[in-house]
Amino acid sequence: MAIPRDYFEWAAREFDPARIHEKPEALKGIRVLDLSVIYFGPATADFLGELGAEVIKVEVPGQGDVTRILGNASFFWKNISVAFFCANHSKYHVGIDMHATAGQELIRQLAARSDIVIENFRAGTLEEKFGIGYRQLRRVNPRLIYVANTGFGQWGPFSKGRASYDGLAQGVSGLTSITGDGDAPTKIGNYLGDWFGASMSALGALAALRWRDRSGEGQFVEMAQCEGLLRAMDWTWLYAGLTGRDRVKVGNGDHTFAPSGVYRCTDGYVALVAGTDREFQSLCRLIGQPGLAEDPRFKTHDARRRRAHARELDAPIAAWCRTRTRAQVEAAARRARLSAAPVMTARDHAENAHFRARRSVWEHEDPVYGPMLEYGPAPKLSATPARIKWAGKPVGFHNELVLKSILGLDDGRIRELYAAGAIGRWAEGRRGAAPPEGWKGEGGLE
Amino acid sequence: MSDRESRGDGRPWEEWIRSAEDPARVADKPEALDDLLVLDLSHGHYGALLTATYLAELGAEVIKVEPPGGDPARSWGPADAAINGEGLAFLAESRNRYHVTLDLGKREGRRLLRGLAARADVLVEAFAPGHLDGLGIGYRQLRALNPRLVYVACSAWGHWGPHARNQPAEYDLTDQALSGLLHVTGDPDAAPLKVGSWIGAYAQAAWASVGALSALHWRERSGRGQMVDVTGAEALMRYLEYSVLLYHASGHVRGRTGLYELAVFPYTFVRVKDGWAFIAGYTDPNFGALCRVMGRPELARDPRFSTTLQRTTLENEVALRAEIERWSVNYSAGEILAQVLADPGPGIVVFGPMNPPARTLGEVHWWERGCFRRVSDPVYGELLLQMPAWRMTRTPPRLKWACRPAGYHTAHVLHKYFGCGPAAITRLRSHGVI
Repeated sequence: MAIPRDYFEWAAREFDPARIHEKPEALKGIRVLDLSVIYFGPATADFLGELGAEVIKVEVPGQGDVTRILGNASFFWKNISVAFFCANHSKYHVGIDMHATAGQELIRQLAARSDIVIENFRAGTLEEKFGIGYRQLRRVNPRLIYVANTGFGQWGPFSKGRASYDGLAQGVSGLTSITGDGDAPTKIGNYLGDWFGASMSALGALAALRWRDRSGEGQFVEMAQCEGLLRAMDWTWLYAGLTGRDRVKVGNGDHTFAPSGVYRCTDGYVALVAGTDREFQSLCRLIGQPGLAEDPRFKTHDARRRRAHARELDAPIAAWCRTRTRAQVEAAARRARLSAAPVMTARDHAENAHFRARRSVWEHEDPVYGPMLEYGPAPKLSATPARIKWAGKPVGFHNELVLKSILGLDDGRIRELYAAGAIGRWAEGRRGAAPPEGWKGEGGLE
Repeated sequence: MSDRESRGDGRPWEEWIRSAEDPARVADKPEALDDLLVLDLSHGHYGALLTATYLAELGAEVIKVEPPGGDPARSWGPADAAINGEGLAFLAESRNRYHVTLDLGKREGRRLLRGLAARADVLVEAFAPGHLDGLGIGYRQLRALNPRLVYVACSAWGHWGPHARNQPAEYDLTDQALSGLLHVTGDPDAAPLKVGSWIGAYAQAAWASVGALSALHWRERSGRGQMVDVTGAEALMRYLEYSVLLYHASGHVRGRTGLYELAVFPYTFVRVKDGWAFIAGYTDPNFGALCRVMGRPELARDPRFSTTLQRTTLENEVALRAEIERWSVNYSAGEILAQVLADPGPGIVVFGPMNPPARTLGEVHWWERGCFRRVSDPVYGELLLQMPAWRMTRTPPRLKWACRPAGYHTAHVLHKYFGCGPAAITRLRSHGVI
C-alpha cells in the first residue's frame, strides 16, 4: 500500500521544532541530584534533564568536575574544555564540599527534596566515607530513587578496589575482541561504555519512577558499565555457549548481511549494506554489474555471506565508489532503494540540514558562553519534546539560587557556609572552573 | 522501604546490597512495568525488537505481532549456527514475549491489530515511515482509537526532516556511519572500523525506551499519549560527546586516533605478556599512581608528561605509550592487576585484560552477579543468555523465557483479548489472517 502523500507534512507538524519550547516537558517536577563526575553519571542526569527533570549538579568547590580541564590545547575555549558541556546541559551548578559536615548535611537536605540521586563513586564510598549513601538518604526520603553507576557493580569479586573507565569496559566485556580485524585491538573512538551505560541507567531510573508512580516506593538502581557493554553484544554469548567458540572478527563486514562494507570515495568514505536479495540485485544494476546477481557465488543470501564470497564483492563495489563523491553514492543508492550513508565527520554534522532541522545538532545561545553548537537529545517526542535550555556553567554558579529556592536558606546562613568552606564557587582564575575572560555577571542569579 | 529491607541496616554496605539485589530472589519481587501492554510490531528491525525486549525485561506484557511467515529477523545471526532454523541474533533478544501472527495486509488482520492497539499502552514499530499510516493503522488513526497510546517509531532517518522521504532500510553499519562514530574509530591512516556488535540498535532501543517511559510518566498527569521518533544514527550521535562543539569552537574536525586519545592519556591498550590490556591513569594523581606501579616515579615529573595538557599532545602520547609498553610486556595481565590492586595510593590505575568472549565467560564475577544464565528451554534446548543489565532492589528485571516460534501464542492472545475460541481461531487460520 502506498504511503499517503500528506504523511510527512503531518509528521513535520506534529514534531515542529519551532514549537519545542512552547510544549510541556515529560519529566517536569522531577528533581535529580547529580553527585557524579566525568561522563557516566553526569550523562545519566543530563538525559533526564533533557526530558524536563530539574538537575542539580554538585561539584567540588574550586576546581569542579575533571571534564572541565580535559584535553590538549585545542579543547580549550572560553577558559574551559569543550569536553565538559556534552554531559551538563540545563543544570543548576552548586559547589558543595562533601568532606565538610555541613556539606554532607546540605546533601541530605537536597536529597530529602529530590526524586532521584545519581552517583558514580566506587561502591560504598558515599555511605562509608561521607554518610550520604542510599541507606542514609532513604531515611530522609523513603520515595528516593538512588541510581549508582560503577564499572563492575556494587558487589562481587571485581567490585572491590577496582575502578573503571569506558575503555576498560570495552576490553573486559569482550567487545574489543569482536571489533575490527586482525589481532591488535581497535579502541572504539568515543566513550561508548559511559554513554551507552548512561542511557541504560536513565532507563533504569525511569522504570523505577514508573514503579514509584504506581506504588509510592523508591528503590536502589544500579548500572555497571562493563555489564552494559556485555549486554550489548547481541549473539556473542549464545554462540559461545552453543559452539564453544568465540565469534570471528569481520571488520566492516557483517555475519548476517552481505555485502557490507566501508568504501573510499573522492571526498571521504561511505558505508554500504545490501542485506536482502532485492537490495543486492538493485546494487548490481547500480554498479553496472547485473551479471553478479546471477553468479552462483552471489545468487542467494547464504552464498553471499560466506566470507570468501563477501570479500569478492568488495572489489567491484569499491571500484564504483572510488570515482564518486559520498553524496553521489548516497543519492544514487537512495534512488535504487539501497542503504548507503556517508561516514560523517563533525563538520558534516554541523552542515547537515536534516540533523540540524531535527535538533540532533542543536544551536543555542548561552548568556555565559555565547553561541553553542552541540549534539541534541536523541529521542524525538511529539507532545513533550526533549530540549537544551542552557549550557553548563562555572562551578557553584547557582549556589544562591538553589540554596534559597529549594532549602530556603537566607543570605546570612549562606555567608556562614561559604566562610566554613562547606560551599564554594570556582577558584579565581582556575581554568575550566571559572567563567570566561571578560564575563561581567551575565546569567548570574542571586 | 519494606520492613525486611530496613532490617539489618547495621550490616556493611556490600553485604547489605548483595542481599538486597540477590539474583536468586528476583522472583519474590514485583515488576516495575507489569501494568503495561506493549505491542511489538518490529519487522526486520533489531532496534525495535530490543526496545520491546527492555520493556519486557522490566515487566511489561509484550505481544510480538509477526506476519504469518514470521519476522524476517528470525533468520538473522551467524551462518554457522542456528537452532530449529532460528538465527542466534533473534533468539538472543526475543525473550519474555507472546508471539502472535497477524496478516496486516488483510482487513481482518488490521481489525484485530486495532483491537489490541485500543488497549495497548505502547506500540513499537519500524516499518518504512508512513507505511502503517497507509494501511490505516499508523499513529494518526490509532490515537483516535486510543488517545493514551505511546507510539514508538524506529527508522534510519526519522519520520520528519528534509531527508525523511524515500529513505532506505536501516542497518547498523549505516547508522554508525551517519552518527560520526565510524569516523572516529580505527587508525588514522586506514579506513574507519565499526563496532563489532549491532551497537546502533542497542542505543536506539535504549533511547526509544527512555522516550516511551518518559511519555508514560507524562501520561500519568496529562492523560495523553504521544509519538516517539528514534533513529539509530541519532541514538549514537548523542554519544559523540564534544565532536561538534570542538568543531564549532576551534574548527578542528575530530578524526581517528587509533590507540591514542585527544582528551585523556594514558587511556589505551598495551601489549602484556599474555595478550593485550587496557590501562589508564590520566588525571595527575592517577598518572602518579601509574608511574609508581611501573616503578618509574620520575616519569610523573618528566616535562613531557607532567600535566594533562602535556600528556595529550600526540607526540608525547606516542612516547608515553612506548614507555608503558616497555614495562607491561614483561608481565601477564593478572600480574599487573595484582600490582595495581596492591598499590596504596594516592591515585588509582584503571587496568584490565582485553578479554576474548570465552575468557569473559570464565570469570566468576559475572556469574555471581547473574549477568549470564544457562537455561534449558522446552523449544530451543540449552541456551546461554545475557541477562538484563540493571539491578533494582525493589523491582528487579528478569528473564522469563527465551523466545517462541512465530504464532506460538496466537490462540492464547486472541482468546484473552477477543474471546476467540477454537472455532473462531480455525476460521481466522483458514482465511490466512493468522
